[in-house]
Amino acid sequence: MIKEFKELWRYRELLFVMVQRELRIRYKNSALGVLWSFLNPLAQVAVMSFVFSNFLRQDVPSFTVYMLAAYLPFIFFQSSVLDSAQSVLTQYGLIKKIYFPREILPIAAVIANMIHLLIGFLIMFGLMLLGYIRDPRVFPFQAGMVYLPFLLIVSTLFATGVSFIVSALNTFYEDVKYICQIGLYLLMYLCPIVYFVEQVANSKKNYDSGWLLYKLYMLNPVAVQCVAYRKALVAPVPTMSAGGMGMPTGMPWKYLAFHSVGAVFVFLFGYWLFNRLKWKFVERP
Amino acid sequence: MSGEIKVAIRDLRKQFVVSHSGIASIKSLLLFWRKRSYVHLEVLKGISLEVRGGECVAVIGKNGAGKSTLLSLLARIYKPTSGTLEVRGRVAPLLELGAGFHNDLTGLENIYFNAVILGLTREQVKDRLNSIVEFSELGDAIEAPVRTYSSGMMARLGFAIAIHVDAEVLIVDEVLAVGDQRFEHKCLERVEQFRRDGGAILLVSHQLPTVEKFADRVVWLKDGVIEMEGEPSAVIAEYTLRG
Repeated sequence: MIKEFKELWRYRELLFVMVQRELRIRYKNSALGVLWSFLNPLAQVAVMSFVFSNFLRQDVPSFTVYMLAAYLPFIFFQSSVLDSAQSVLTQYGLIKKIYFPREILPIAAVIANMIHLLIGFLIMFGLMLLGYIRDPRVFPFQAGMVYLPFLLIVSTLFATGVSFIVSALNTFYEDVKYICQIGLYLLMYLCPIVYFVEQVANSKKNYDSGWLLYKLYMLNPVAVQCVAYRKALVAPVPTMSAGGMGMPTGMPWKYLAFHSVGAVFVFLFGYWLFNRLKWKFVERP
Repeated sequence: MSGEIKVAIRDLRKQFVVSHSGIASIKSLLLFWRKRSYVHLEVLKGISLEVRGGECVAVIGKNGAGKSTLLSLLARIYKPTSGTLEVRGRVAPLLELGAGFHNDLTGLENIYFNAVILGLTREQVKDRLNSIVEFSELGDAIEAPVRTYSSGMMARLGFAIAIHVDAEVLIVDEVLAVGDQRFEHKCLERVEQFRRDGGAILLVSHQLPTVEKFADRVVWLKDGVIEMEGEPSAVIAEYTLRG
């Protein structure tokens, strides 16, 4: 694996150019360009926020920002996995002709999405600033922002690991991509995006099961990420609006620690699997 | 530099696994798990070959004799099943029309992408950019997306890039069909110079007259083994007789 990593390092220039190309191609023929990568989630969040605050009594102030803080990382994971699933096959013509470390393809997809995530966060901070200017009673930026780099590293490792696995398998069985699409769509509802993790913790089901439900819920690594980002970037949810009873749960350090270690393992396993299978890409049966 | 061994191939074998169940899907994998039938197809059955600097070696043979597989192995696209394959220096495959170009990107952007894949750094590409554009004779079209190019323009760009990456081994699959006669002449001249500078060329072609004209040595591949190797005229004569 170390040999492969050295080879990858030798080709870092290509990785750079590949990311650049990925970013250029996607919005090549659109007037708004890279803004689309943010307009899309923003529109979704705006509609969801409208529905939830007005019809479902999710009356948290600046619900939009809460949603964005969790939804942007989710989109990062989702698009990374789906883009990488396709990455090897879309470049199939190329890999049949020229040698380069094939892992560059999924890695480039993840990095391009990471750049989109960072732009997304910048715009989200802009929204928070706007809210502060309009209503300067509460300062919206949290000290927890210092954890952001750590969270980004963990999400990148995890997303890259999953992307390695998915893109390698999808090259042989294109069903994998469709399974991922459905899986990720369902996963969104199992992550605290349109609701709060406190509502899970404070639900009757959770109390009845003796906190088993909450523990199961937090087994989902993407849910842990969503919670962590939200805790780091946005003010704690007002207790009353977060399901009525109980206390708001803080940063889930224990789960985050588990998840970070897990992310490293997923990354290493994915890299190992990809390297095992990559020579078979061009000669798949 | 000339005369030094650039490519050393020893007892090279390559086996492919061919599935008979057709397009792979998880469904067919699960349904026909027990009926999985794979056939091992041995395309190269022990090839040994040396190519020195300044030499142009042509590989001839019928379809399916293993010529393209041999070139792909040299380009490190496949891993050998057994045997060794050593290449000194950088290998530049002359790609088929536009393989590796992205249609929505401009000629310039594609130059960066392709040259970096072949092993240059962005800094080096920047230095050679003018020379590449000049050689391709694309002029202002270099700023236009590649999808607007004619096939000749794409081939010229591809050739211009491949010749500028300081390769020591050039792989040419089928002859340089790059646009008009004049440009083809220019390419051949450039390839000739590449050879004088000590580069090695491996050429696969069905056009025997071209082979006879260019190659210093001809290797005749038949069913995955070297049937004959030697002087172009002698091998070609034998090939046309028994081929």
